Amino acid sequence: MDYNLIALLMFSTMLLMMLTGQRVFGAIGFVAVVAAMALWGPGGTDMGFSAVMKLMKWTPLLTLPMFVYMGYVMSESRLAEDLYRMFHVWFGPMPGGLAIGTILLMVMISVMNGLSVAGMAIGATIALPELLRRNYDKLMISGVIQAGSSLGILIPPSVVLVLFSLIARQPVSELWLAGAVPGLLMAVLFIAYITIRCRLNPALAPAMSAAERAQITWPEKLRLLRAGLLPIFIFAAMMVPFLNGWASLTEASVIGALSAVLAAVVKRRFTWAVFETATRNTLAITVMFMLIITAALSFGAVFDGLGAGRAIENFFLKDLGLGPWQILILMQLSFLVMGMFLDDTAMLVIVAPVYVSLARALGFDMIWYGVLYTITCQIAYLTPPFGYNLFLMKAMAPPEFTLPVIYRSVFPFVLVMVLTLILVMVFPQLALWLPQTVLGR
Amino acid sequence: QETIKWRMQTYAGPALAEHVVKPAIDAFNTIANGQMEIELFYADQLVPTSELFRAMQNGTIDAVQSDDDSMASPTEVTVFGGYFPLGLRYSLDVPALFNEWGLNEIWGEEYAKVGVKHISAGSWDPCHFAMKEPVNSLADLQGKRVFTFPTAGRFLAQFGVVPVTVPWEDVEVAMQTGELDGIAWSGITEDYTVGWSKVAPYFLTNNISGAWIGHFFANMERWDAVPPHLQELLKVCFEQSHYYRQHWYWAGEAKLRVEGTDMQLTTIPDAEWAQVEAAAATFWDEIAAESETKAKVVEIIKKYNDTMTKAGRPYRYG
Amino acid sequence: MPGWTKTYVRWIEALNYRVGRFAMYLLYAMMAILLWSSVTKFIHIPALWTLEMAQFTLVAYYMLGAPYSLQLGTNVRMDLLYSRFSPKGQAIWDVFTIFALMFYLGVMLYGAVDSTAYAIEFNERNPTAWRPPLWPIKVIISVSFLLMLLQASVHLIRDIAVIRGEEI
Ligand code: NA
Ligand code: NA
Repeated sequence: MDYNLIALLMFSTMLLMMLTGQRVFGAIGFVAVVAAMALWGPGGTDMGFSAVMKLMKWTPLLTLPMFVYMGYVMSESRLAEDLYRMFHVWFGPMPGGLAIGTILLMVMISVMNGLSVAGMAIGATIALPELLRRNYDKLMISGVIQAGSSLGILIPPSVVLVLFSLIARQPVSELWLAGAVPGLLMAVLFIAYITIRCRLNPALAPAMSAAERAQITWPEKLRLLRAGLLPIFIFAAMMVPFLNGWASLTEASVIGALSAVLAAVVKRRFTWAVFETATRNTLAITVMFMLIITAALSFGAVFDGLGAGRAIENFFLKDLGLGPWQILILMQLSFLVMGMFLDDTAMLVIVAPVYVSLARALGFDMIWYGVLYTITCQIAYLTPPFGYNLFLMKAMAPPEFTLPVIYRSVFPFVLVMVLTLILVMVFPQLALWLPQTVLGR
Repeated sequence: QETIKWRMQTYAGPALAEHVVKPAIDAFNTIANGQMEIELFYADQLVPTSELFRAMQNGTIDAVQSDDDSMASPTEVTVFGGYFPLGLRYSLDVPALFNEWGLNEIWGEEYAKVGVKHISAGSWDPCHFAMKEPVNSLADLQGKRVFTFPTAGRFLAQFGVVPVTVPWEDVEVAMQTGELDGIAWSGITEDYTVGWSKVAPYFLTNNISGAWIGHFFANMERWDAVPPHLQELLKVCFEQSHYYRQHWYWAGEAKLRVEGTDMQLTTIPDAEWAQVEAAAATFWDEIAAESETKAKVVEIIKKYNDTMTKAGRPYRYG
Repeated sequence: MPGWTKTYVRWIEALNYRVGRFAMYLLYAMMAILLWSSVTKFIHIPALWTLEMAQFTLVAYYMLGAPYSLQLGTNVRMDLLYSRFSPKGQAIWDVFTIFALMFYLGVMLYGAVDSTAYAIEFNERNPTAWRPPLWPIKVIISVSFLLMLLQASVHLIRDIAVIRGEEI
């Protein structure tokens, strides 16, 4: 069969299977094993299982449950409450202040976990009720929480960058450092957007009343600043041993998880319920990811082995007759479009190997490309109709946050993310400066 | 006539495969002129290296380039693949042993038993340590986590080395994430080619074997289904690949020690290194005691080394 | 629904629940192993087995936990259309698409059993210096796929019950 046809067939069947609403891993895995059995020839049936053994050797995946667990310990024990109170008190007086505070909270949450799910949980349970009580605009609330929590995968530690490091074979330490500045830049741009919107239309985000402001004393304001020490402590406990080479990546992730537990214990919030929920949810999320990655790895290997991977490479590199930058932009655009419809993790595992080898063939810096890739993933989390944060928002928010509200709310924030993406593309130093400075690459 | 299509997976990543296998495959595809086509896949691309043998036996993959040790082949000769500690001095020892001293026959039989065609053996580079920190004595190896071949790892454990196995492609990253302190896998040519010289600035000039033993294999049924003239062409192209490696590595080993700028050379004095050589003799005997076939191979390797020693320079010095 | 289906559903769900609850705590085993690895490294006698053991534990953790996660319904679906159906509509739809899932799990089970048989026959060991035998983890993987398959069949029975308007 023609390679291009195989590529087209496998992708379109996968899309169709996903549309059936069957579990994503089942949909992808089904296409993978059927394609292998129909087209591979003898021995094709083993292609599904060999992905399990491949995954076992991917040592950095040990960090996945740890970073997820950290996030759950934090959200379940409501460790972030003081942190939120801090931002509330300091930024509340400004128009849009609480929304800005929420973004800053999300930055803090991001340095303590590797996915966006913890940010979503904390945003929905701690920030959302407060924002509603203060009559913030629903679109603003929904957008801020979804966009802010997506920073979890760009600001280190990041599970997506761990996966990227496995696929692109790049050091995760460099990738993480490279994500930091663009992550902070994106947060600043979110804040700039919120500020401008709220100056133009103060009704979106009413500032704290004068009476309430008068109640907050300076000693309290200063006392609350201490809450900011928590993320610094957890981040340092994890990153200092890692960047100094005292602990490996996997060991550092355990130290991080245990630091979160320690913080919760010290604050007397590590109850049986917290332990139980965090442990169970960590299993659920880890299983979800691992099953998708397993299926997607099979899909990718079958896709490669049937020659479809090469067909795509030839299409971009030879048939199109474009320059490297044009191809890069095309790749990002196609990924954005696919991110709307397909599962983000599956995309990462299936599409990344092809795109990574393309980007490498075109001579781009792989660390920089990893950051572009992660920002694209963040956007995929948010773009309708399919995206993790959209689903999580629907599941966690009160019923008045209908799907249309959630869909519409992300629009301006997606534009800000695209702006960040463009800035990092035009100025690669935004990503590369920090790793070069710290690691002297 | 329909084109015969083979999938071959090598245990080398793309950067190294550019030298050690791709030229031969490209040449084969050109000469075969549409009658047969080999599609080359790199380390772990289709199946993980640890499952490579099984995949070939099942026909999931048609052909493989690897040493016996890394792909964990279930044969009596697995321990000799990759680097058999202190068994060889020069890369030419490998073709000599296989073609003139009878190893080809033993390998052919052992692999036929498990449904695999052993096409030919070839040699790569010597096995040196590339380390994060300088090694000037055996004590410096104590507690170091080192990426190496399984059998070499078993042998080195007695000197306090902690052998660690990660996928070949992850070695550079593992050096940077602190999972590894060093690599005992290759000579200096490979260190530079795959970029390990950037993460491991110290090169130990003592080696634990002077040449790697690796092979081309095929699934027996697939091999038998290929017409004789293409079988012959496969053999010739693989021989050419062995030859390419002989001069490419040999030239690189000397040149990079002298002219390379990434790595500093360190040495464990001969007198101290003699401990390792003595330990290797014991290790050989342990291996020989495990089975008749292993005893036979050890016997051949011993005899070969005796002959080389008696012949003196340039075959053996000192 | 026939009585035996109810017994079957109850038994399988109870089994998978217990296996899953056990697997859930392997997270802490993983942490302990990796911490021990740090400690041994700190005192300059790094352990040979920790990384591999942690890898095996991770595999056991998510594989044995997988049937339980099916029970919890935590595996993401692209439910743009699906979520708009009524419960009965979803059940009708699932009765068909669950066969895709079961087919996939069946092929994985076949591959796992095949690989386990090989591991036992040749006493396959991890190609590392520690050289642990691979059959234990492969047996665990095979059992997990079997349990997932059984759990999927429970979902099928439940869906049929929903379509027939019955309780299970
Ligand atoms: Na993060
Ligand atoms: Na999306």
